[in-house]
Amino acid sequence: MNAFKRAWRYITRRPTKSLLLIITFFLIGNLVILGLGISQAADNAKVLTRKQMRAAVSYEVDYDKYYEYVNTLEDEDEINKAYQNYPRVSEEAAIAISQDERVKAFNYMMTTTAMSDGFENVPIGNEEERGTSSYVDEAGNEVVYREPNLMIYANLFPEMIEFEEGTFTVTDGKMYDQNDLDQERNVVLITDELAETNGLRVGDTIRISTLNTYMEQEFKAHNLDTEVFFLELEIIGIFHNLNMVDPNAENFRWMSAYESPQNILLMPMTAYRNYYRDTLRAQIEFQQIAYSDSSINVEEAIENNLAPSRVVYLLIDPLEVDQFVEDHQKDIGEYLKLNANNETFKRLARPLDTMSFFANIVVWIVIVNAIVIITLVTALTLKTREYEIGVLLSMGVSKVKVILQLFTELFILALLGFTLAVGSGSLMAGTVGRAVLDYQTASDSQYGEVEDGGYYWHDSTDYFTEVSQDEMLSQYEVSVSPLLIFEIYVLGTAVVLIAIVIPSFMIMRLNPKQILLEQN
Amino acid sequence: MSAILRLENINYGYIDGGYRREILKNLSYDFEEGTFYTILGPSGSGKTTLLSIMAGLDKQESGKIYFEGEDVDQIGLYKYRRNKVGVVFQSYNLITYLNGLENVLLAMTETDNPLPKNKEEIAYALLNMVGIVNTKADRMVNKLSGGEQQRIAIARAIAGNEDLIFADEPTGNLDTETEKEIIKLFQMLAETYGKTIIVVTHSNEVSKLSDRRVLLKNGVLTDI
Repeated sequence: MNAFKRAWRYITRRPTKSLLLIITFFLIGNLVILGLGISQAADNAKVLTRKQMRAAVSYEVDYDKYYEYVNTLEDEDEINKAYQNYPRVSEEAAIAISQDERVKAFNYMMTTTAMSDGFENVPIGNEEERGTSSYVDEAGNEVVYREPNLMIYANLFPEMIEFEEGTFTVTDGKMYDQNDLDQERNVVLITDELAETNGLRVGDTIRISTLNTYMEQEFKAHNLDTEVFFLELEIIGIFHNLNMVDPNAENFRWMSAYESPQNILLMPMTAYRNYYRDTLRAQIEFQQIAYSDSSINVEEAIENNLAPSRVVYLLIDPLEVDQFVEDHQKDIGEYLKLNANNETFKRLARPLDTMSFFANIVVWIVIVNAIVIITLVTALTLKTREYEIGVLLSMGVSKVKVILQLFTELFILALLGFTLAVGSGSLMAGTVGRAVLDYQTASDSQYGEVEDGGYYWHDSTDYFTEVSQDEMLSQYEVSVSPLLIFEIYVLGTAVVLIAIVIPSFMIMRLNPKQILLEQN
Repeated sequence: MSAILRLENINYGYIDGGYRREILKNLSYDFEEGTFYTILGPSGSGKTTLLSIMAGLDKQESGKIYFEGEDVDQIGLYKYRRNKVGVVFQSYNLITYLNGLENVLLAMTETDNPLPKNKEEIAYALLNMVGIVNTKADRMVNKLSGGEQQRIAIARAIAGNEDLIFADEPTGNLDTETEKEIIKLFQMLAETYGKTIIVVTHSNEVSKLSDRRVLLKNGVLTDI
């Protein structure tokens, strides 16, 4: 009859006491599951939402921090200089970060609008409603303003996030490769719809420009050559873009043609930089001639503008985003940051965080109370069991075995109580959690709403997937996962272990002779 | 006959009302194997204290106890209680949430002495030997009479194959008829099974039935 068998006999042959303890553990278990369930469901909802969001991290200028610095400057020249020479993304740092094994793809990319020359853009469908823009020139003539209708993506590497994710797929020809980049070749990939609209094929050439109507007029007025603004590109590939214009979008009516995913051109950044350098030089020179502005250092201004405003990394696991940012923040330089769109996520998750925080507090309060209650119950019970312990000790049963028996009894009862609590506790956690969440969102809605057009990026490449608070909260669901059950049993065991400490000391002090003499 | 238990210069005392009271003074005695002893003495002479020390439930202040020539301190009190001796108390001291059979099995499980595998059969046989039939052995002990409980306590005391049995007023709570039966049981254990029985009693009737009567007086043991 070892300690385990004795423990079993004791709890089965003292049913009232056992039942009372089971009820105690059941109530404790319910409260623990309530707390843990709510907390875990909140964490799960956040994780699921994080997974829904793209694992994008942007390496960019920290304008807030930089402007804070600029605001501390007092000298006018220093302020102007600071505005002209704002920090730039470091190519070296960007490439070093891209070597991290958590990075799935990254875009070291510049984007710019352009105009087609000799071919048409893919129509959006709002042309009639939108109409055209015009202005009156110095001679009093109305000039129709030629607007950009193309968007150029110029990447420094052939492996673009869009291809990695499957948003872009080459349907004909090929993507430009490292050789094209190294050779700074003027090559381009166009969308299948753009190709179809204009009957273009791989091997054809297209001409684009970045010269708007106003500049064209101005250049001509000053007898300046505009040819530098025109670029001839050889089509080496045609790709399909899964993204489409949404005719139901709020801004559809005013959408420009270059905003259409079908009017995107892909070209090597090296070639684009050459073109950009030339056009920028021409523009600065024009400014110097037209406005006698000699303050601009042409080469410095050009070099400052040849880096992208940001670099975007796509990670393999969305849950590693925070750690990735933390790991690389120190490598990126002053007034630059790694942005994981966390502020938005944190704002949306605020109700869940608050609920999780209070749920955890409840768990700890319950655990502490449980330890105190079980300790008291066990200590009081021990007084009534001194005689039995005295007998066992007189027979040579070690005190450790007596404590083991006591622990086993409590453990079995805790196991039963917690097992019963798993079902009811999860139901309770679901109901209470949902009620608390509803209250939270009602009182916290001023924080929860997404700012109009938020998510940081206003250009065509928004790598942060938008999620609404409703979407995030819809992920909230209390379920008793194996992990939760495991946690409950671990906590239960810990409670029993701690609760047995004081009674154990009491047992260690017992003297069989004294007990049995008192009994006799 | 050789001594199964040797007491050498045992001293024990305690503070009572600010004065130290010596209970055992340089007490020495040899208990021989297979003998039924009764220890007599006036109230407060220290009979129960002596039995507690001999049974390893308490520790003497000085002096040595040898079991079969081996120092009990060397054996260790827990091991000594578990393997060498059995104790029977006046109020039986059975575990109340176990039945008679389980109380006996408890002693058999705890001992380190080699026992046959069929422990349950042996436990029933021991219970039968002390006069407890199987149906009673399966009952919870608090459903049994005082005499029956004491028989189970005796069976439990010898279940671990211990050779030395101590009993503290084992018939104190029993009627005269049952008292006689219990004493016969002790006699049988000593004569038939060679067990050494040491019974503390204040009853002359009981002591008359023992092989040897010993008096504890003024802290020392003397044969009567």
